[in-house]
Amino acid sequence: MLARPGLPEFEYIKAQSPQEVFELMKENGSDLKLLMGGTDLFVQMRDRNGGPAFLLDVKGLPDMQEISFDKKKGLRLGAAVSLNNISKHPDLQKHYPVLCQAADTVGNYQLRNRATLGGNICNASPSADMSPAALVYKGSVILESPRGERELTLEQFWTGPGKTALKEDEYLKTIQFPSPPAGAAGKYRKLGRSKMGDLAIVGVAVLGYSDSEVPAGLRFRIGINSTAPTAYRVPPVEEFLTQNNLTDDILYQAAEDAMDISAPIEDQRASASYQKKMVRNLVNKTLKEIWEILK
Amino acid sequence: MTITESGLIGKSVKRTDGLDKITGCAVFVDDIQFGPNLLHSRLVRSPYPHALIKNIDTKKAEALPGVRAVVTGKDIEARLGLYLIDRPIFASDRARYYGEPVAGVVATSEQIAVEAAALVEVDYEILPAIYDPVEAAQEDAPLLHPDLGDYTVANFIFPQPGTNISEHFKIRKGDAEASLASCAAVAEGRFRLPPIEHVPLETHTSIALSEKTGQITLWASSQSPFAMRDMIAQSLGISHNNLRVIAPLVGGGFGGKAGVTMEACAVVMAQAVEGRPVKLRFTREEEFVGTSVRQSLVSDIKVGCDADGILQAMELTYYFGGGAYNDYGVNIARAAGYSCTGPYDVPNVKADSLCVYTNYPVGSAMRGFGMPEIHWGLEQIMDRLAEEISMDPVEFRRLNCVRTGDEIVSGMNMTPIDLEACLDKVTKAIRWDKKEAPTAPNKKRGKGIAIMWKAPAMPPNPGSAAVVRFNEDATINVEVGGQELGQGTFTVVAQIAADVLGIPYENATVSYPIDTKYSPYEWQTVASRLTWSMGNAVKAAAEDARFQILETVAAHWDEEIEDLTIKDGLVISFKSEREMPLDKMVIYGLPNENYEGWKGGPVVGRGHFMPTYVTNLDPETGQGTRAVVHYTVGAQAVDLEVDLETGQLEVLNIASVYDVGRAINPDLIMTQIEGGAVHGMSSAFEALKFNEAGEVINPSFVDYRIATIADIPRKIHGDFVETPIDDGPWGARGVGEHVMVQTAPAIANAIYDAVGIRFSDLPLSADKIYLALDEKESQ
Amino acid sequence: MANHKLSLIVNGHTEQLLVSSNTTLLHALRDHLGLMGTKNGCEAGECGACTVLLDGEPVNSCLVLAVELDGREITTIEGLSSNGQLTPLQQAFADLNAVQCGYCTPGMLMASTALLNRNPRPTEVDIQKALVGNLCRCTGYQRIIDAVIKASEQGSAQ
Repeated sequence: MLARPGLPEFEYIKAQSPQEVFELMKENGSDLKLLMGGTDLFVQMRDRNGGPAFLLDVKGLPDMQEISFDKKKGLRLGAAVSLNNISKHPDLQKHYPVLCQAADTVGNYQLRNRATLGGNICNASPSADMSPAALVYKGSVILESPRGERELTLEQFWTGPGKTALKEDEYLKTIQFPSPPAGAAGKYRKLGRSKMGDLAIVGVAVLGYSDSEVPAGLRFRIGINSTAPTAYRVPPVEEFLTQNNLTDDILYQAAEDAMDISAPIEDQRASASYQKKMVRNLVNKTLKEIWEILK
Repeated sequence: MTITESGLIGKSVKRTDGLDKITGCAVFVDDIQFGPNLLHSRLVRSPYPHALIKNIDTKKAEALPGVRAVVTGKDIEARLGLYLIDRPIFASDRARYYGEPVAGVVATSEQIAVEAAALVEVDYEILPAIYDPVEAAQEDAPLLHPDLGDYTVANFIFPQPGTNISEHFKIRKGDAEASLASCAAVAEGRFRLPPIEHVPLETHTSIALSEKTGQITLWASSQSPFAMRDMIAQSLGISHNNLRVIAPLVGGGFGGKAGVTMEACAVVMAQAVEGRPVKLRFTREEEFVGTSVRQSLVSDIKVGCDADGILQAMELTYYFGGGAYNDYGVNIARAAGYSCTGPYDVPNVKADSLCVYTNYPVGSAMRGFGMPEIHWGLEQIMDRLAEEISMDPVEFRRLNCVRTGDEIVSGMNMTPIDLEACLDKVTKAIRWDKKEAPTAPNKKRGKGIAIMWKAPAMPPNPGSAAVVRFNEDATINVEVGGQELGQGTFTVVAQIAADVLGIPYENATVSYPIDTKYSPYEWQTVASRLTWSMGNAVKAAAEDARFQILETVAAHWDEEIEDLTIKDGLVISFKSEREMPLDKMVIYGLPNENYEGWKGGPVVGRGHFMPTYVTNLDPETGQGTRAVVHYTVGAQAVDLEVDLETGQLEVLNIASVYDVGRAINPDLIMTQIEGGAVHGMSSAFEALKFNEAGEVINPSFVDYRIATIADIPRKIHGDFVETPIDDGPWGARGVGEHVMVQTAPAIANAIYDAVGIRFSDLPLSADKIYLALDEKESQ
Repeated sequence: MANHKLSLIVNGHTEQLLVSSNTTLLHALRDHLGLMGTKNGCEAGECGACTVLLDGEPVNSCLVLAVELDGREITTIEGLSSNGQLTPLQQAFADLNAVQCGYCTPGMLMASTALLNRNPRPTEVDIQKALVGNLCRCTGYQRIIDAVIKASEQGSAQ
């Protein structure tokens, strides 16, 4: 079946308070969906010629547009912060540059004026560009429900392609990041079919920082997307890197190990064997680049 | 490059349609407003690539409030076609491709039309489907058109009833087999191209209105308003004067809006709801699934040369995957047949060019019409043969390329061209003799060359007509039936008319939208034929108007016509040095002496052009005196890098040089060259993709990726040479399609130069290139 | 479906609208206000033909609900030039023949106008980043890049 012209019918409601959100979610169940930027939701609704009867716009709720950074407490981003507002924010550019770089690779500029971080996280797409960056900064999500707030790590939050741990009565309010390690350097490197604007065939985020306690003198966090049911980190590879004196060969070995962990599926966008090799090459290249900066 | 006396031919004047387009004033079909009377429609499409239609139940759909009509193939048995009348407007007994229209729903809103379309129930019996044209050409293949022998067909097309072969064009010239056996070197290969889409930014849209009087008006995004009128009128038994096609500006065509795509569906639906306009607008997804494609091709090529590198013989088999209906595609196979060798002088040729039915979307015209398809293999095999005999690819081409007067593969003598001059310029621009260093250590750099030819592929006698009409102030309206698709044809005809009439370019306005009720006849805006054919007609019309003016003024002054000319809006006499402003006489004429009567009157020039010299070809040998009107030739060279870590290509430079005969507007030629280079590059990475069930799996910009602004070559070098032809205006011929014909093989040749790997199948991808590099390294 | 009443400031004029929830900004502009310069190319945020400015920032109008925009400012291609006075950017598009079929042109102009407003001296890469969501099948893009650079050299987009 082909996508329909225009959007199917639904009723738009602008949420006035979290209480109203909870009430309407309870009342309408799966007939209601929360609306953030809509950039993915509207496309899905056209594709499926259907969708929820109600779209509840939560962009205007308190804290949903929050961007607050404190050197000790870290960063809080409201779920409805647009990707362009992330990439152009001076505090983020300074302290969380990988988030900004990742945000800049999503779709196109116009789209990023609407697309939100919360939407990108909640879609739980394996190829989401924000995911590897959010992982290397140890992001967590704050979910709001009538029972109060709870916090989950991203690894806990993403349960599969398009699947999250969100309960029926919950919504994502804030994405939170601890202060980044002092002197950290990082990079998001994305491979698409076009030079810009495509979905990630493979995306790799690397964050490196000094740690005199470990033999390598450095620690790396590595986040990868598009090559497993969810975006993921590679703890054994990160551990391996800490335990060795870093050389080009060690970095390559780490990249090969990351390749072995990746589990892409064959689809029209890329072959599985290409994606695996690109995990290796991108991890290797990005590790090297960060190592060069830090050593 | 020279400029004419009036100064407009050879001058890069600005586009006539530029202001409309930068201010948002340009009107495309979807922008025409019809008010509340407008009805909306939606097509019901086959979910199967090949199936018998057992029953269609429209009751539930018809019962939905707001539905005004449901039309199916059972209601209308008519077929359509330009060269082979094989295509139903709605499939009635069988569906032959995924997405084929089987019914249409008309409703008061788009929403209701969408809902009603989902309520149409169709019973299908699934049939085996076939996609590969080589398999489909075999005798035991499932037949798509058991009635092929009953279809009406043009006298130069040869379908083979009882098979899936809709056209078989043959060349038998000399003795290819014997010659190949004695060649010093032979290269051989099979090459494949997938179907690709045109991807205009404006999707197909039409609005049809059937009046109670029987008058039908069709507003359509069309390259061919007259051919569209002719095909639909013939199919539905409407008289031509009762079918009016209005074609506003076209938001990208590339061949995809030639002939009839979906417009007949709109007409049939409108006939079911008399008196109300019905809009049929394709979504982007429908544009990918439900419009014509560039045909797929499997080509088998064998070519040999002697010890000096001189080409001796070729054996060629082209299997064009024509898709479900070959009403237009048969002529692509024919054109590929009579130009089968590419731009080379080859004395012995055996060629079979077949158009074959497959269960893919309808194959049809796309920018280059068979030539990008055959040059993909030809231009790689020439490199291989050159390598066999250790000759530089450029030298090999210089040695063997076709020259003016040569007897070419179809037996005709080559019309004036200078391919060597194109090669000279392009190799200089790309610094062919320099092996250049890559820009980074993880990259390898290479250069590739490819040459091309293409003739306008059309019936022998397609015509153009034009009218040049003066206004009171001596501005003119140029009336034509050819279409502005962005290529700049309106600008060129305004230039031509203004130049002939000695008036400023700004004083010439082209009348549009094209309207078959008012516009003079034009066969189609295809084949890069407008500058040449419509240009000739406009030139003739302007000359006719000029003659009328000079005749009147000469009589008024009692001078000879030969002593007068028109310059800067004034009729002047070389002899008496008298002057007469045009605005004093182009409408009101001139008085006789003492106002004893008047002479002259409103000046309206008419002109037409039709080639009268194309001959038929022998059906067994493909030989004849003149297969085509003329050829355009050109050379392209590519400088690129392959990223060894990702397989990605970075195109550093595409240099293109074409022989345009005569440049009427040099800058517009450059815009074609630049756009064509990027289109050609993009096409090397494009494919319409299907799953095993025959469904299109990439009907969106997400997965059918076209070149973006970030993907373009770092440099695009364009140039032309001018070898005038006898039958074009000031010697000009077209160049709109040629500019992308050989880009893909030039890229493939450059990749080989960079990394030593040949790719015989399109599409290319970083994935494919990387895995091939990986495999090569592990060997 | 209920209709929602809202007002939009479109090209400087306040417009009252009554729209259903599923009316996108694209349809509101074209079908409710008759502003046909904004084009529908894909309805999926991929081609950029429908780009307009929302409070000065470019958005794909096919992916924005009109109902969300009460009181907001919209600029479309019809709002760029006034009294026959083209913007330097429009003039550069015309002078450099950066236009062919013209279907992508309104979106290209809106996205590049916004670029020049936030970055008056963009590099070629800045332009590519800003326009990667605006597809063109005709021009090969180089002249569009050249036109934006030319306009930037002449000062502002306005």
